[in-house]
Amino acid sequence: MKRRDFLGSLGAVGTAGMLSTPALLSSAGRAFAQGNDIPVGLLFSLTGAVAVVESTLHDAALMAIEEINASGGIHGRQLRPIIEDPASDPATYADRARRLMIRDKCVSVFGSYTSASRQAVLPVTEQRNNLYWYPTLYEGRECSRNVMYGGAVPNQQQDDLIPWAIENFGPRFYMIGNNYVYPKEENNYCKTLLKQYGGEVVNEEYVPLGHSDFSSVINRIRSEKPDVIFATVVGDSDVAFARQYHAAELDPSKMPVVSLTRSEVEVKAIGGEAAAGHFSSAPYFMGHATAENEKFVEAYKSRYGADQVTHFVSEAAYFQVYQFKAALEKLDPANITPETIRDAAVGLTLNAPQGEVLIDENLHTHLWPKIGQWQTNGQAEVLIESKERVAPKPYAAYPGQSCTGQGLVKA
Amino acid sequence: MSSKFQYDLVALVIFALVVAFGVPAVMNYDGFELNTFARYLALAIVSMALSLSWGTAGLLNLGQAATFGMGSYAMAMHLKLRASDGLPDFMGWNNVETLPWLWVPFESLTFTLLAGLLVPAFIGGLIAIFMFRARIAGVFVAIITLAFLVAFQLLFINQQGLTGGQNGLTGLAQMSLFGWTVDPYSMGFYNLVAGCLVVALAFGVYLTHSKFGLILRAIREDADRARFFGYNVASYQTLVFCISAALAGWAGMLYTLVLEFASPTYMSVSFSLAIVIWCAVGGRESVIAAAFGAIVVNMLEGRLSDVFVEGWHLILGVIFVLVVMFMPRGIYGLLSDSVRKIRRIRRTRDQRGVETFPNT
Repeated sequence: MKRRDFLGSLGAVGTAGMLSTPALLSSAGRAFAQGNDIPVGLLFSLTGAVAVVESTLHDAALMAIEEINASGGIHGRQLRPIIEDPASDPATYADRARRLMIRDKCVSVFGSYTSASRQAVLPVTEQRNNLYWYPTLYEGRECSRNVMYGGAVPNQQQDDLIPWAIENFGPRFYMIGNNYVYPKEENNYCKTLLKQYGGEVVNEEYVPLGHSDFSSVINRIRSEKPDVIFATVVGDSDVAFARQYHAAELDPSKMPVVSLTRSEVEVKAIGGEAAAGHFSSAPYFMGHATAENEKFVEAYKSRYGADQVTHFVSEAAYFQVYQFKAALEKLDPANITPETIRDAAVGLTLNAPQGEVLIDENLHTHLWPKIGQWQTNGQAEVLIESKERVAPKPYAAYPGQSCTGQGLVKA
Repeated sequence: MSSKFQYDLVALVIFALVVAFGVPAVMNYDGFELNTFARYLALAIVSMALSLSWGTAGLLNLGQAATFGMGSYAMAMHLKLRASDGLPDFMGWNNVETLPWLWVPFESLTFTLLAGLLVPAFIGGLIAIFMFRARIAGVFVAIITLAFLVAFQLLFINQQGLTGGQNGLTGLAQMSLFGWTVDPYSMGFYNLVAGCLVVALAFGVYLTHSKFGLILRAIREDADRARFFGYNVASYQTLVFCISAALAGWAGMLYTLVLEFASPTYMSVSFSLAIVIWCAVGGRESVIAAAFGAIVVNMLEGRLSDVFVEGWHLILGVIFVLVVMFMPRGIYGLLSDSVRKIRRIRRTRDQRGVETFPNT
């Protein structure tokens, strides 16, 4: 482009803005054919700080949508995914969610990894009575009638884990987490369980998000000699923590890290050698042996590359689209609104890769908690699988409060 | 000087008319579009605030996002208290038992509105006194303000029981102003934000063309010379810093109303740098151009991300690089250069006319 051309076009953009040319100002997408397809939003960050994880959620959800479309859609109608990139920024999430829900008239939006981004989307979702499908494990204590929670809440990750850890390694827990609401809530719940099973907290420590130097933490762990390191460290921090823990030659068979947040994605970055021997609690592991999971993993790998991994959040991002499909199939095609979809989804069961999941009337999901031990190949060996499906109790740490089909009830 | 003032006044009137009547008409008075545009207008205020300190006084404040965040949180605290009976929910998560004293006065809207302006002004003033008393100038102002921003954000996120930490303040009530409940998707709300922007711009135009503005420009060009003339350079710099911070706080309050939540990302380095970019694209020498820059860049960002979901960041980055290379003074520079050129051509033509007269 010649300089003058560029300046000209830039000037044109400027004047266009000044004169309020419709092309730039009003939405180009207004003329969407309302026709036969069903618009759904995908709101996962493809760029920015959390893109490494969130793009895998995007991939999994998009794969489910295209599978559904390839097999004839829902009632013969195709799903039309509208993709937005909120760039890991809560304000952008809020802005893009408005676009999807108000302008593009999506009947549902699938999105978010972090709690911060979910909460940024909540105001518009609730005000417009739309439906937001959130696949991530989270801290609980939320009871929106407009969010479908596909991930685990504290009781689903910890009820089996804590007694098991006390029995196998000992009662002295060292809590290490990033400094935000998720680790704090998980630790609150863990403390109530420890009290119940005779465990104790030797230290409770929080490092800033993105923190990457754990030498002082590891020194403290050395001197405290706890039995279990109870970790709620996320993302890059967890990768740094695991590597430094390994480099400090702390023995996982004596002092294992039991994590609620470490999945195949983090282990891929940590390296199998450093992650091996430690544990994670999650409803899904990539190595889980069921026909549904094999199908899911194979489809994912053949589509996105053999080196890609599936994990407990991408699995939920995947099965939530199928829950959405199952709900729509129950509905009269003329009467598809976010509200009817929600009501139809309650009580649905679905054979997900992790096992048969059920949507509770509180819009959280009944899941199959598992405890896995990481191996040198980057996969987890599932040691314990809960015998029955565990119901979600988002207010488990708070006696007298429970999330029901009518919203939050306080006794 | 006075002709420039006239230009600015004309630009301000055109700008006000377009924003107040043109934009809503083009958007068919659609709630969603108005809300989106109101967001741009709120950001335009913080951009014009930066142009006061950067463009007029030559003080590049990379901590503008901190004062913006203070305003935003002041408003969010008030709305959070209105939304919750008793203790806000996130305090329970952090095992806070009673309402912290810092929160108590935010029950009052009047206090909140004042705090949203005065707290940023006060904090900004404090830093300014430290910097300008010590005669810190140039790139060091940028470094100190940037360091302050990083420290402030870290501190803010760490005080979870007070601030909601990483998640920020969500689940807010709607503001009610003299019995009018502010619905962020209404024409009334749009008018409120547009009105605030126009008032802020009028104030900015007045300021830059006043004697105060003239002295600031003198300080920008040569601080020592201004000092020799007997002006107290530090107090002028401090004052413009305070004003800029208060305006940023004002913008922050409006931003919370638009998006219905406050997040610590409003105080992030990347947001602060984004403000600098808007200001640079529009032209930092004029408050109107800076506001215009914020609107154009944000609009462009919105449209680009709509059309090119993948790679919109890259395109935007290339545009910024090109702007800096070919229009270092922004859109304003482009306009004022062309105005000057036209004038020169006219003048030479006139002169030629005068010169040729006696010969004929």
